[in-house]
Amino acid sequence: MTALRSGLETAAPPPRPPMSSPDGAAATRPVRAHEGVGPAVLRPRPVRVLVLFAVLIAALITISLLSASLGQYRIGFGDVTRSVLHKLFGWAHVGHPIKDHFAEATLWQVRMPRVVMSLLVGAALACAGALMQGVFGNPLADPGVIGVSSGAAFGAAAAIMGGVTFLGDFSIAACAFGAGLAATMLVYLLSRSGGRTEVVTLVLTGIAINAVGGAGLAFCTYFSDQSARDQIVFWQLGSLNGSRWEYVQIVAPLVLVGLVGGVILARRLDLLSLGDRAARHLGVHVEALRLTAIVLVALLVAAAVAFCGIIAFVGLVVPHLIRMITGPGHRMLLPASLLGGAVLLAAADLIARTAVHYADLPIGMLTALVGGPFFFWLLRRTRLHAGGWA
Amino acid sequence: MPTLRRRFATPLMVLSTVVLLSACGSATNPAIPAGGPSTQTSPGGAATTAGGTAPVDPTPIDPAPVNPRSVEGPSTAVLPLTDVQPVTADPQPVLPATVTDNQGTKVTVRSDDRILALDRSGTLAATVYGLGLGPHLVGRDQSTGFPAAASLPLVTSGAHVLSAEAILALHPTVIITDTTLGPWDVLLQMRDSGIPVVVVTSDRDARTVDTLTSAIAAALGVSAQGDLLNTRVTREITQASAQITAELPADPAQRLHIVFLYVRGQAGTYYIFGKGSGADSLIDAVGGIDVATEAGLDGYQPLTAEALASLKPDVLLFMTEGLKSVGGIDGALRLPGVAETPAGQHRRIVDMNDYEVLAFGPRTASVIDALATALYR
Amino acid sequence: MIRTRDDALPPQLSAGDVALAATDLGFAVDGRWLLHSVNLELHAGEVVAVVGPNGAGKSTLLSLLAGDLPPATGAVRVGDVPVRRAHPLDLARRRAVLPQQPRVSFPFTVADVVRMGRSPWVGTAAEDEDDAAIARALVTADMTHLQQRRFPTLSGGEQARASFARTLAQQTGTLLLDEPTAALDLRHQEQVMSCARDCADEGVAVLAVLHDLSLAAAYADRVIVLRHGEVAASGRPRDVLTAELLGDVYELPVDVFDHPLHGGLVIVPTRPLNEALKNGVRQ
Repeated sequence: MTALRSGLETAAPPPRPPMSSPDGAAATRPVRAHEGVGPAVLRPRPVRVLVLFAVLIAALITISLLSASLGQYRIGFGDVTRSVLHKLFGWAHVGHPIKDHFAEATLWQVRMPRVVMSLLVGAALACAGALMQGVFGNPLADPGVIGVSSGAAFGAAAAIMGGVTFLGDFSIAACAFGAGLAATMLVYLLSRSGGRTEVVTLVLTGIAINAVGGAGLAFCTYFSDQSARDQIVFWQLGSLNGSRWEYVQIVAPLVLVGLVGGVILARRLDLLSLGDRAARHLGVHVEALRLTAIVLVALLVAAAVAFCGIIAFVGLVVPHLIRMITGPGHRMLLPASLLGGAVLLAAADLIARTAVHYADLPIGMLTALVGGPFFFWLLRRTRLHAGGWA
Repeated sequence: MPTLRRRFATPLMVLSTVVLLSACGSATNPAIPAGGPSTQTSPGGAATTAGGTAPVDPTPIDPAPVNPRSVEGPSTAVLPLTDVQPVTADPQPVLPATVTDNQGTKVTVRSDDRILALDRSGTLAATVYGLGLGPHLVGRDQSTGFPAAASLPLVTSGAHVLSAEAILALHPTVIITDTTLGPWDVLLQMRDSGIPVVVVTSDRDARTVDTLTSAIAAALGVSAQGDLLNTRVTREITQASAQITAELPADPAQRLHIVFLYVRGQAGTYYIFGKGSGADSLIDAVGGIDVATEAGLDGYQPLTAEALASLKPDVLLFMTEGLKSVGGIDGALRLPGVAETPAGQHRRIVDMNDYEVLAFGPRTASVIDALATALYR
Repeated sequence: MIRTRDDALPPQLSAGDVALAATDLGFAVDGRWLLHSVNLELHAGEVVAVVGPNGAGKSTLLSLLAGDLPPATGAVRVGDVPVRRAHPLDLARRRAVLPQQPRVSFPFTVADVVRMGRSPWVGTAAEDEDDAAIARALVTADMTHLQQRRFPTLSGGEQARASFARTLAQQTGTLLLDEPTAALDLRHQEQVMSCARDCADEGVAVLAVLHDLSLAAAYADRVIVLRHGEVAASGRPRDVLTAELLGDVYELPVDVFDHPLHGGLVIVPTRPLNEALKNGVRQ
């Protein structure tokens, strides 16, 4: 830094018009004077980012184990640890399963899938949120904008109402997933014009599709029989209750695809923050990038929503918090958001199922309860500091 | 994935406040009028009518008034808070029992030692009691509250959400349930954990009580006791209906036109329980005419104020919590369309506990009695 | 869309080569021609200034040249590639564009933003020069001391210079600058234009949309004057920037004279005589 500054000072003589100088002094060319200046660009603070990742991973493990040890069925922390070690390293004769068959079943058939599912869904939502905000160049963008949530909700409601069972236990999830993707594609195609998508048009189309999805949902709710109606309402509230390994096996690869895709897109998403035109000038195929990112978001959100209902605000809040620490570069933001989302949702789910005795609070309600005020604070803060996002 | 997570809140509040009159051990019904002026009525009457206190009478059905339509004012039907009588004290289950359940799943039950029988209306647990396996129940749903079961631990949280951990903590050897409790995934988790889960039909109907009972009995290896219970329940239902019908005018035109309404809050829309909903068979059993079925309404349908008025019901049947949610009798009378019905004009609103009214099962006859008492007194 | 190719690197241009060519370029909105039959060639090693009154089509021209807009007529080639059909990456390795209003939607640091200018070269041999190119661009734009500042916290002029640095870091054979001096103070106006001049001297082809005619006269090898979407004049500054033509194009009387000290062209609107001077004249 100091070297650069002093270097600059030698460069500082005010450049003069090169055409003719009355005093005959040769015009100084700052560019020439500084060829050979070494790598002067400071990289993002790696220590801070390393600390963040270390903290997130530690939190992830702690919350997972804590969550696995707490619940209505009392299982000691030691038993849980030994049983987990046994599952992981049983081949090396480390740890052993819990003697009580029901405790072992509770741990591995009820609690663990749920903990893993909360991690995956949190990761998916946060990753989707970060992608979404990158695509729109707006920190307030939410996956809900592109219609995926309302589409999925409508799909699920229609499946519940119609008693769809073609895929057995996965029927409703599959319908939600398909409808979420379809709604997103519809938003995208409708807002596309002349080979390009204007962000404002995209958002407005999203609002329209969300309204239609909402109407479809209302229709299903109204004309369903009583039991289906209750089921729709509960589906909307969102819950990780009833997570199973089968579902984990479906969501996990999708999250992986989202993460890998996100990391591949990361550098180009950075460029997108310069605006579509500037990004294009820098070699980004903006339309293809946007489409890819939106498909990834739809995949991630639809996968999460299909199994756990609508869980609001994770995608909004997590990337925002992470950005405060890592800065806006997507190469760090995406993986860190993924971890952060996993930690946040695992913690939220732990609270959801232990805060009130005998009650399994809907996690969507819990996250919205915390996320709503946070969103408001974010808006206020932005207004105060930057005059808003217009 | 028919997960059913019910929103009905505060179940059994009514029951807990009931003053039990045990004279003769028969159905005596302290009225718990659901709000409005009827709150001043004495809690001692068997189905009191608002504005006046009906005489206490230990018998379930008094000689009916000449014209059932002459009765005015609201009333509440209350099921006696008594245990289900088991058909035998010591059933000898024949196990293992392998059955194909209502969803086509083959389930083998190896032990009746620790039974969970869970549904929204409490019918399944009552049936297990009736079969004589009551002492083997280790937990209960929110609707099961008769004295012998009231102290069992709950396995649902919130409204009707199954809690996987609460279930596993009870170490059940068999779970009998239907699709009215959820999430369905929890039941799949139970199967993943190696617990046999028998899913029976969630239809509740006076006409199909025996099929349900038989299915439960078969799964628990007590088919013989199932037959005994069926015989008893069928006899009770027939007796109760016959008794009621005998005291009603023979002319069907004179009978009560009844509509069973499902309301929640002041939204101004109603759902009506029509043909095949269970409400039809109940109304039939108490000697009324289900005008929704007459009008060709199937199952569970939304209804406008005008449609309600055009059905001209003499009596509106509500679930107690539903009635509360609209603000009691007075609130119900302010609902669009209600005032335009004969029932509204005569304040003929009868309510019954949300879960009991369509529970059927071994206590069907008691439900019919209780409702008849509320209707005709 | 994932492309990192070494094989498609642009050929080196030598001074005088045609870096960018537009033939019969036209653009219309709602049947009105914003730009009509514009022909231009931009050569390696020259600075071309595009001037003209508001609405003359300067920015439209730049957008067409950059490939942001599809031309209604004609075509643009950047070096060896046609702009409309080329992959954005091929264009990005041949020309850099400085936008009129720089925008960065997240709080990236100046260093981050300048580094973005290197992204067309990711995965190529030129990647090795990233740090040097960024450092040089920062120095040239006089942004080195601000490189850790967050972009949104900068003043308008600083933001413009940061964007300029990003454009420079791209190290392309052609530079398209849309009003590069609009937000800048006097010193930085001179600095940016002198830098553009330096780039040209190194063999880069520079096209800049300018409002300041004196600045255009001082730094440009050629000036293109646009009027109502058509080229009103094109040529060496001294030949083109005459009082007559400018007065006609801008619909305002303009004085053009040589600077008494360095002899460069000075172009200012004709103004009524200054009061103090009037008095002096009377004396």
